[in-house]
Amino acid sequence: MLELDYRSKAMDTKFKINDEITVDSRSSAGHCRTPAYIRGKKGVIERICGQYPNPEEIALCKKDPQIVTLYRCRFKQMDVWDNYSGKASDTIELEIYEHWLIDA
Amino acid sequence: MDNNYLKMGPHDVGGEESLPIDTTDSDMTHWEKYANALRIVVSSKRIITLDELRYFTEALGDKYFQIGYFERNCLSLHNICIQKGIYDQELFQKIKSKKISEFDVPIVDLPDVGSINHIHDGKPHSHNVSDFQEDESGDGPPDYYFDTLAIAQIFINQGLITNDDITLKIEQFDNVFPNRGKAVVAKAWHNNLFKEALLKDAKKAISDIGMELETFADIICMPQTNTVHHIVVCTLCSCYPRTLLGMPPSWYKSRSYRSRVVHEPREVLAEFGTIVPESKEIKVHDSNADMRYLILPPRPSNTEDLSEIELSKLVARDYLVGVRLPK
Repeated sequence: MLELDYRSKAMDTKFKINDEITVDSRSSAGHCRTPAYIRGKKGVIERICGQYPNPEEIALCKKDPQIVTLYRCRFKQMDVWDNYSGKASDTIELEIYEHWLIDA
Repeated sequence: MDNNYLKMGPHDVGGEESLPIDTTDSDMTHWEKYANALRIVVSSKRIITLDELRYFTEALGDKYFQIGYFERNCLSLHNICIQKGIYDQELFQKIKSKKISEFDVPIVDLPDVGSINHIHDGKPHSHNVSDFQEDESGDGPPDYYFDTLAIAQIFINQGLITNDDITLKIEQFDNVFPNRGKAVVAKAWHNNLFKEALLKDAKKAISDIGMELETFADIICMPQTNTVHHIVVCTLCSCYPRTLLGMPPSWYKSRSYRSRVVHEPREVLAEFGTIVPESKEIKVHDSNADMRYLILPPRPSNTEDLSEIELSKLVARDYLVGVRLPK
């Protein structure tokens, strides 16, 4: 059983709040929590959620999954959808693990 | 959507075009409650993790949307157990047959003679058998219920879980969890210090009032304001703060809600009767990983004299997901 301080924010993280990021647009095999619609999109770090075991490895029953930093990222809806019909200020926020984020 | 080629499977629906949303919440049947409780017990005891369950559900392919939500859960749980060697098909079929036989009892013992004589109003009187009707009729429980009962029985036989674990979970989902979020919101409306603590660190604030959510996930609370409207979805499955709000409503798990709310939130909100003015920003939260969300609705006007208990009766579940606002 994993007994971790998931919420520990003390560890070194690759990105800081308000950093500009791009979600990697690679494809994935197996279980993954990065929806297709957000891959390749540019946004900013909204907050650092903490350190969590990598769900892609938990899904495969790995005993000691890698611990990765989870971020909440904010995207402008206009940057996510080609024909977004709402307001320019509308936003969408998702949680993205560090290994899916690249510098903007 | 230009990212279609990256779609991971039938579950990855965010951004798809879909049907209007059926905004009514259909009640759960007993077998669905049982299946839900089993899944929660098994994952909270880490016998099988949530991500394993998700992975196997995602691997159902075309079957994913051909069968219902709880059927999917049941089938993926079974497939994992077979793959992990927790049991084999032979044992499963044996226990399942036994479970089916336990249900094979007549609902009413109808007389098997042509007519029945009895006395009422002081006179002998006869009835034909056709005068009687079964109290209950129908197809009986679905086959997935027997699957679920068999899986549970094997776990129980192996000492991994107890029947009480499942019964307790059903009870909590019926009577405890759905009231917690309402109580938390009423407290935030009533007590400004608690509201501040809730917005700063919801999991800690909720724990500090003695409510243990027994969840690995963190809770983030977002307040509805005059300038921002928040709404929550899980496009990949059905992530929801269950120990705080109870079961997600049926529409929250539906393909149409999960597909559409991310790319046309105003239209979706309008289907719930919530018209968001153009002047407001809409912020969609895709609850796609380890955070869970609680939306704090504005306190209704003219409620200054109400107690916390009275306020809690004004809180509707739909406010806490962001699909409706208090009038």
